[in-house]
Amino acid sequence: MTASSTELQRLAEKFETAASEVKDRMSWDALRLEWTGRKQGLLKSLLGRMKDILPEERRDYGQGVNRLKVRVEERLTELSEALATAERQAEQGQRALDVTLPGRQPAVGSLHPITRVNREIETIFTELGYSVADGPEIEDDFHNFEALNFPPGHPAREMQDTLFLENGMLLRTHTSPVQIRTMLKRAENPPIRVICPGRVYRNDNDLRHSPMFHQVEGLAVAEGITLGDLKGTLEAFVKRLFSAETGIRLRPSFFPFTEPSAEVDVTCPFCTGGGCAVCSQTGWMEILGSGMVDPRVLAGCGIDPDRYSGFAFGLGIDRVAMIKYGIPNIRMLFDNDERMLRQVRG
Amino acid sequence: MIFSRNWIGDYVELSETAQQLADRLTSAGLAVDGLETVDDDVLFDVDITTNRPDCMNHLGLARELAVLTGKALKPPEAQLEPASELVSSVAELVIEDPELCPRYTALVIRDVTVGPSPPWLAKRLEAIGSRSINNVVDVTNYVLWETGQPLHAFDLDRLAGSSTDSPAQVQVRRATDGETLKTLDGETRKLDPSILVIADAEQAIALGGIMGGFDSEVTTETSNVLLESAHFDPRIVQKGSKKLGLHTDAGHRFERGADPEACLWASRRAAALIVQVAGGEVLAGELDAKQLRSDWPHVLELDLGKLNRFGGLEIDSSEVESTFTGLGFELEPQGESPATRWRVTVPSWRAYDFEDPRVADLYEEVLRIHGFDDIPSTLPQIGGADAPARGEHLRARKVRDHLVACGFAEAIDFAFTDRASDQACPSLYGDLEPLALQNPLSDRYAVMRRSLLSNLLASARYNQRRGAAVVRLFEVGHVFADGGGGSKLEMDTVAWVAGGRLGTPWEREHEVDFYDLKGVVDSLALVLGVTFVSRPAAVPGLMEGAAAEISIEGADDQVVGVLGQVADEDGPYPLFVVEIALDRVGLPTGSLAIQAPSKYPAIAVDMTLTHAVSVVWSDIERTIRDQGASELKEYGLKDRYRGKGVPEGAVNTTLSFLYNSDHRSLSQEEVNNYHDGLARKLEERFGYHPEARGSGPQTV
Repeated sequence: MTASSTELQRLAEKFETAASEVKDRMSWDALRLEWTGRKQGLLKSLLGRMKDILPEERRDYGQGVNRLKVRVEERLTELSEALATAERQAEQGQRALDVTLPGRQPAVGSLHPITRVNREIETIFTELGYSVADGPEIEDDFHNFEALNFPPGHPAREMQDTLFLENGMLLRTHTSPVQIRTMLKRAENPPIRVICPGRVYRNDNDLRHSPMFHQVEGLAVAEGITLGDLKGTLEAFVKRLFSAETGIRLRPSFFPFTEPSAEVDVTCPFCTGGGCAVCSQTGWMEILGSGMVDPRVLAGCGIDPDRYSGFAFGLGIDRVAMIKYGIPNIRMLFDNDERMLRQVRG
Repeated sequence: MIFSRNWIGDYVELSETAQQLADRLTSAGLAVDGLETVDDDVLFDVDITTNRPDCMNHLGLARELAVLTGKALKPPEAQLEPASELVSSVAELVIEDPELCPRYTALVIRDVTVGPSPPWLAKRLEAIGSRSINNVVDVTNYVLWETGQPLHAFDLDRLAGSSTDSPAQVQVRRATDGETLKTLDGETRKLDPSILVIADAEQAIALGGIMGGFDSEVTTETSNVLLESAHFDPRIVQKGSKKLGLHTDAGHRFERGADPEACLWASRRAAALIVQVAGGEVLAGELDAKQLRSDWPHVLELDLGKLNRFGGLEIDSSEVESTFTGLGFELEPQGESPATRWRVTVPSWRAYDFEDPRVADLYEEVLRIHGFDDIPSTLPQIGGADAPARGEHLRARKVRDHLVACGFAEAIDFAFTDRASDQACPSLYGDLEPLALQNPLSDRYAVMRRSLLSNLLASARYNQRRGAAVVRLFEVGHVFADGGGGSKLEMDTVAWVAGGRLGTPWEREHEVDFYDLKGVVDSLALVLGVTFVSRPAAVPGLMEGAAAEISIEGADDQVVGVLGQVADEDGPYPLFVVEIALDRVGLPTGSLAIQAPSKYPAIAVDMTLTHAVSVVWSDIERTIRDQGASELKEYGLKDRYRGKGVPEGAVNTTLSFLYNSDHRSLSQEEVNNYHDGLARKLEERFGYHPEARGSGPQTV
């Protein structure tokens, strides 16, 4: 090993060490200048020393310097690229979004839970071929009571504490007057299939009762309508409204405008019939009243009860909304607290 | 209503558990709401519907249970050993109005010893929550709860004329105007002819079918009793009870319809019990004035095939026969055996339930005893669709959807409010009187709202009080007003209220103001197919200078809405409201057709016009429209600025314009030509010239 080749070896090691210490563009620039500077670069001066090398060693020396030069240039390029990549990454890091920041939600509003349930019920019945009818909230005695087979003064009227106006009219106690108006209007051409949703009023105000609440009633009148049709319709309805597992139970009861009449219990939507606190461990919830339209009511509306029969049913929308949305108190439905209203979805 | 199982057990053998009995009763329409074991007895709390007064007693409920469990009914018996003296020698009846009192019977029991009841009697009454008074009165109550027939015992010696040789007179008549009666409860009551009384020859001694009189009641001094057992017409008892505000066990039954045939046998049963517990003897014979309605008993035809078609069931002849027979109906089979058709006679205790009877009443009896559980589920076989939805219904749906899309939460408020709020809030029907309630729950709910805003504003305040930084509520509903001459108005209306700061700085917060609400008005107009115009107006309840009336373009004479800032500044930030009378706007009718966008590039131009503050936008807008070339596709307000660089009393209005053609590309030059003309025109008309200051509003 010649002295010159030993020196080249030492220089190569020195370069590798220095290169491994390059951390940024500045130290890279310094290294490049030190080794490949056109005027005072180490490589330049190594070549300049050729004349001092023994002629028999010149070839080896020249080749050794060239190898070193190639190595230095390769390594510098490599380092430069690595630095550029790091710089690019650093720059991108500055620019990148914090994608976990909260988005700006559009100001969407919300429908009242009662409207939502109402629409759901309307959808179910329009799919079953019903239309939607509505009518006035201020009614007269005829449409609210008399035509529904409540004789004047009869205690059955006390089942529905009525709010009267000073002009002698009254606030409808149920949406049944809409059924009467529909039958009177369409007496000539049954079949009739309607639902009648709307606000109703009773003189009743406590924790469980609101003086204003919402009902939807249904009516079907045609030839040959049976009690089985009522049962089947209500079953189809509650299965769509709650879940396919929901069952119903009819219990005979009394309403002046239906004969026979039935209270309808549905299996508790919370425990699906097993019994829980919500249904007082019975597994059932009473949510509907129903029955076959009393022939006197049909006849009073001009519909021949010997030819046509019909069924009617009604339920409280508020109650269903409370069940569906877990609203503990009916009064909360009318507080209009936006913190509650704006949670209502779907 | 409370029933004792042991007592029912006197009339029917009960081998089932109390829970089984409760389930059977419930499935037959007599809902058992509760069971309570007390000593050796079980108390049933049964919800008896108003059509079943016949079940408001133990015998009646026993009859139902006998049918439901297939047992025999054992009604109580009355064994009388009458004295020789005739009842007619001591009392006589004068029924003035047999329609109101179709039957009146009386028995007389002499030489009773009034005192405490024996324990068995007191215990039975106390078990069902009735107080023991004395042996005679307790018997009348006992028989009421046993048979359902209300009875009343008079102290015979206190009736006018009872000490003479001639019989004492018992009259049934309407009270006279101003007549008074001290009733058993110690109250002196003022009567009138709408109330039926029992009277002696001189004065009223009892309210017919409701309550006895104080002066003729049975006390420990009493030795001779006149026992009344009568039948009163439901309507006269309903009227009397209501007028006097007096609700009694007797009245409860007569109002719903008692059994006209029960009077005498129940009375005999009571007389026998009185003799048993208070001694004495029953006079021979009875007083019985009876003039029942000619349409009683009701008779109906029943056809098994029709019954089964109605119920969708297969019930056989024997079930029909056993049901009706057990319930006390009489059946006359028609034709072959087994019968499929019958003539059915309704028992007297169901006379009122079968008022104007229809065959459906009979179907109900069979079906409820059978139970509804096996009825098959079917759907009505009706082809085709029903009627289309009403336009108003669809309109309300569109309006709700739009307000939700605009970020509002739907509220539902009560439809009644207090007079002051109704008066204070802006109303489109303010010129009409409100409809007042006759029996409001409280003064807070005294009148029907003439505007949705009265309660909607209260709801907004409720949210403000709970710290809401922003409020955005709407309601769609009816408002009401007196239409005059006994008529009423009830109108579809929408209203909304908003105020506060929406969002955070991060969310680019925004202070809700008048123009936010106006924007909702104008966008709703698109949904309703109309164009709204607003003009400044003085609106009660809204702040002066920040209130407008809304009408439909081209129909300025009819106000369809109001818009503005609420005058009352109670809350932490101002509230803005809108109300629109949907019925005045009408149903959405406008064309739905869209305009295809131009295929050619558009050219946008802005201009800033410095004009006096008094110049109104609608005038600027009209000038632009009047000038309008078909190439001017859009224009609008881009910004408004007052402050540094703008003279005092003036405002910079920046307008944006968009030019385009459907047929070709416009050149910048022709747009400039056109636009410069328009700009000049605007500048001429509205431009701010300080020297013109003080010369009044610069409007065209």
